Parts: sequence; structure tokens; C-alpha cells
Amino acid sequence: MKLTNRQFRYETGESLKMALFQIRANKIRSFLTALGVIIGIVAITMMGTAINGIDRGFDKSLAMLGYDVIYVQKSSWSTMGQWWRYRNRPDIKTAYAEQINRIITENPRSELAIAVPQSSTYQASAKYRDRNLEQVFALGTNHNYLQTAPGELSSGRFFTAGEAASDEMVCVVGDDIASSLFPNEPVLGKSVQLKNRKFRVIGIFRKQGKFLGLFSFDNQIIVPLGAFERVYGKNMFSSIRVKMKEQTHVIEAKEELLGLMRRIRRIVPGKEEDFSINEQRAFKSQLDPIKNGIALAGIFITGMSLFVGAIGIMNITFVSVKERTREIGLRKALGARQQTILMQFLIESVMICLIGGVIGLGITFFITFSIGQLFPSLPIHFSFDLVFASLAVSVITGVVSGLAPAISASKLDPADSLRYE
Amino acid sequence: MQTPSIITMQSLSKFYEMGDQTVRALDSINLDFRKNDYTAIMGPSGSGKSTLMNILGCLDTPTSGIYELNGQDVATMDDDELARIRNKEIGFVFQTFNLLPRLNCLRNVELPLIYAGVAPEEREERASKALINVGLGDRIKHKPAELSGGQIQRVAIARALINNPSIILADEPTGNLDTTTSHDIMNIFGKLSEAGNTIILITHEEDIAHYTRRMIRLRDGKIESDVRR
Repeated sequence: MKLTNRQFRYETGESLKMALFQIRANKIRSFLTALGVIIGIVAITMMGTAINGIDRGFDKSLAMLGYDVIYVQKSSWSTMGQWWRYRNRPDIKTAYAEQINRIITENPRSELAIAVPQSSTYQASAKYRDRNLEQVFALGTNHNYLQTAPGELSSGRFFTAGEAASDEMVCVVGDDIASSLFPNEPVLGKSVQLKNRKFRVIGIFRKQGKFLGLFSFDNQIIVPLGAFERVYGKNMFSSIRVKMKEQTHVIEAKEELLGLMRRIRRIVPGKEEDFSINEQRAFKSQLDPIKNGIALAGIFITGMSLFVGAIGIMNITFVSVKERTREIGLRKALGARQQTILMQFLIESVMICLIGGVIGLGITFFITFSIGQLFPSLPIHFSFDLVFASLAVSVITGVVSGLAPAISASKLDPADSLRYE
Repeated sequence: MQTPSIITMQSLSKFYEMGDQTVRALDSINLDFRKNDYTAIMGPSGSGKSTLMNILGCLDTPTSGIYELNGQDVATMDDDELARIRNKEIGFVFQTFNLLPRLNCLRNVELPLIYAGVAPEEREERASKALINVGLGDRIKHKPAELSGGQIQRVAIARALINNPSIILADEPTGNLDTTTSHDIMNIFGKLSEAGNTIILITHEEDIAHYTRRMIRLRDGKIESDVRR
């Protein structure tokens, strides 16, 4: 006999009601049963939230580097920590930027938009009257810098092509520099002293935050390249920032830039290049193993707690089947089919798991919300994907743990179970 | 004039294996129940009356023989088909009442209708009507724990009647009731019989059996006597 749609709907409705009855009638037992799932779901969602947070924090940092900027540098980002491999490479010359620009302007099909040179030091000290800041990031570049870097000015302006060309002693400072050197006074027009030279402040950057929590963009002083070299000499750490035309054509752009640099450096074909082309994605590949490690450990832990939870539910459902043997017999006598009984017990275990899942989600939401309030700088993010994922996991746990007892219930002999005492 | 048979059993047997012994719980019995029969099945314990009741109620299938219920061959049906037959053709009344304690009377009575796929509004209407018919119109929302034994059994009778079954199968329906209440319940069965229902009663009490019009006595899996009055 084919089960009609309507019959199925009514029976499922009945099963849902009975499951609620059952859970309400055994509140403590149901709660203890659900506890395994609650803990499992909290573990899952906390882990997911942490990984999400790492991801977002990282993306935010990477956005500071600019998604459409690639860098020509002496060493590669993706093998950081192996400085000795790059020690003998020649330094990157700021003049390359000029050469690159000349080539790409002649080639209308170039993937590259503009190259900007930069020289920098992390060890600068900035002075104003008796105030002194150490470990300032000083950077020399040209007037096109802003095309290759994010960051807006909160006041003033960036230096012009003319100022850059004539090595004018002007600077644009980060928000932290402005507020530490000039607390409670106007900044623009004042002079900041780098080593023994004075630079007039013509612009201030809006606050940007830290890159990977390590390096602050608000702690930088940007000056014309010639002026930088006048203070720090020509042998500082230099690199070329190159903006792409299309953010999505990273591979083509890198290829092109590689070819250009080989031409400029006159590296014969077949010989390994003595420079590196870097992009922000290299950082990402460094982070992935860490992230995967956390995820793997998390999956293992959550898997264990869910497994324990599932066993608890299976156990309690077996007990419930035993206790309700007569009810099962009666329902069968009144016309319940095997499938009806199976569904009833499955729905019950799924519902316990779902309730556990929802409680678990609530706890996680509360925890992440509290952490977010206490430590606003932590990149914690509670995503809706996680809600769906954990509810799905709850349902699966319910089905897996309820299946065996439900099958045993559905197979009970009606005559015997009606006489069960 | 002969009324048509609702139940035909021919050389029907049920054997159980107990260790290396075979117990012949029912030993090729022939039985016939006609429409509006009001029958008591009697016999000492071990006589096979429980087995017969299980097979009559389609809770169990015979080892061999023919069992036809309303022209349908029940002996060879699978579990789901039997479930449908139990739902549509048979109204059970049990000695231990077997109401679900957490559900109120109405919800208990409408249970068979859920499995029959009847819509909620119709279920409620039919269940309350059935409760009114057994004199419990004012107890519709009560739970079994709030009722007396006799009232509970009347709820169970209402449940047995809800799907207009071909037969009502009552297994020691007064076994847990005092004499007065038993008498009330038997009066209800009497009225149901007068209304044209086919009732099969399983009992070991002579005075209960005397309410019926036909008495079948079982002994050792065989029919000892079958008397119509």
C-alpha cells in the first residue's frame, strides 16, 4: 500500500507533537541528553568563529597592502625567515620604477598601470621640540604613492610631482605620529625632525590600524624619495610597488613584471632571477597551514564531543523505546506502520539534537558577543553559515544516534509489546 | 436468512517453537463470524485464546490455514498491510485500557484517524462525537488519570469505534473493573451489538460471557464447543 502524502503529513505532525510531549515530560533527562550536543555545537561554532576571525583579520590586513599591488623586492614573502637565500642578491634600485613605467606606457596591452619606488626604514626617530618618537617607519617615495597604497588623508594633502621632483622637505604623517608629537595643537605646517633634517607636515593620514597586529600604518612618515635619501642615504631597503590594471589578472601581471625586471637586470634566459615579485596572496599561503591545523584539531575535538553526545542520545532513545514498548504496541494495533514508529523515534532524537544545537548556538553567540565587547580589537565574527552548519550537524547527529533505536522500535512485534509489562 | 460472513477461518494453525518442542497454540481450527455476531471466546489460560485474539486482530499471522477478513486474505499480508487492516477493520478494547496517559481523551480517541490520514478538523469532530456517544461529552479534555476505570474503558471503546471497524475485538475488557462498572461496560457492548456491530469478546468470566449471544470454548488449541443462543 502506498502511503499517501496527507497521511505522511498528519503522522509527522503527530510525531512532532509526541516528541515535544516526551521532551517536556522528561525535562531533566532530555537536557542531560542534549548536553553532549550542546557542548559539541559550542565547540564547532567557537572553532568556526575563531577561524572566521583569523580569516577576516587577515583579509583586513591584506587589504592594507592593496589587492591590486604587487611588489618587486629582494626577497620573497612566501619563504620568509630564509633570509640567507637572498643575502647575496643585489639591492633593488629605486630607479627601476622609472624604467618599468617607461616600458609599460609604451605597451598599451600591459597589465601593469604604474610603478612607484620606495625606500624605507623601521628605525627612524622623529622629533618635535622635546618630544621624541623612536622606531618610526619612514618611507621615501614619489607623488604617485597613493595610487598604490590604501589610506586617505584626514587633513592636508599629499606632496605634488613638483615637490617630489625637487626633493622638497615635506612630509605626510600617520595618525599616531600626529597625535603623539603634536598633542592638542595644530599639526599642519609644523616641522618634524628626522635625524638632523626638518620636514614640514603637509598632510595627515586617517587612522588605519595594524597590519597583522604587528606593524602599524599609523606610525609612518612619508617624504619625497630624494629627501629621504638625503637623510638616510641611498642604501636603505628599497622596493618597487606596481599597481595592476585588473586585480583579477594577478598571474599575467606577475609574469609581465618578471619579464620586465629580467630585461632591466639583464638576466640571461635560463638563469634564476635575483629578485622576487611579491603579492599579498603569499601571506595567505603562509597562514593556510596554521588555519588548517586549528581546523583539524577543532574538528577532532568537536567530533569527539559530538560522538559522545550521539552515544548518549542513542542510549537514552533505547531506554525510551524499552519504556514505551506498550505504547509502540498500542500504536501498531491502532494502525501505525513500521515507518510511522521509525519516524516517531527519529523525530524525537533529531528534535533533542536540534534543541541542543540551538542552545549551543545561543551559548556561542553569547560568548563571542561578550568577547567582542571585552576585546573589541579581536577579529571575532559569528557567521550565519555557522548557524546553518551547526544545525545541519545537529540534525545529522540526531539521525545517526536515533536510527538504531528507532529501527528496533519499528520492528517490535505488536502482540508481544502490547503485553509488555 | 444467513447473514454474510465477516471472518472465515479454515484449518487455521499457529505453532510456536519452544526449545525443541512445538507448541500447538491453535490446532487447525475452523471458525466463522457473521455480521452482527456477538461472541465470547472462553477458555482456561494456555487454551489458545490469546493467540486466537492476536490472529483475529491481525497482530499476528497464522502458521498455516486461511483467514479471510471481509473477503481479504489476511494470512499472507505483510506488516504494513496488516497495519492498514488493523486501522480500518478492527477496533481494539484492552483489559489494561492502553490509553496514552499524556494525551487527553480527545487526542487518544483520534489516534487511529491520524494513521488513517483524516484531516485535523474532521478528526476532532468525529472523536468528540464518539466520546459523546459513550457518555463522556463533558470529559473530552480530561486526561486518563483524571477519570475512573469505567470512564477510561469507555474512552477506549470510543477509540475502538472511531474508524467504523468491521469487528470490535475486546480482550478481557472488564478484567480490571469492579462488578458494577463491568456491568455498565457490558451494557455499552450490548447497545453496540443492537446497533449492528460485530463484537468478539475474549474473557474467562462466565457471567461476562453470558451477555453475548454466542460462546466459543477453546481447550488446547482446539474448539471445544461453539454455542449460539
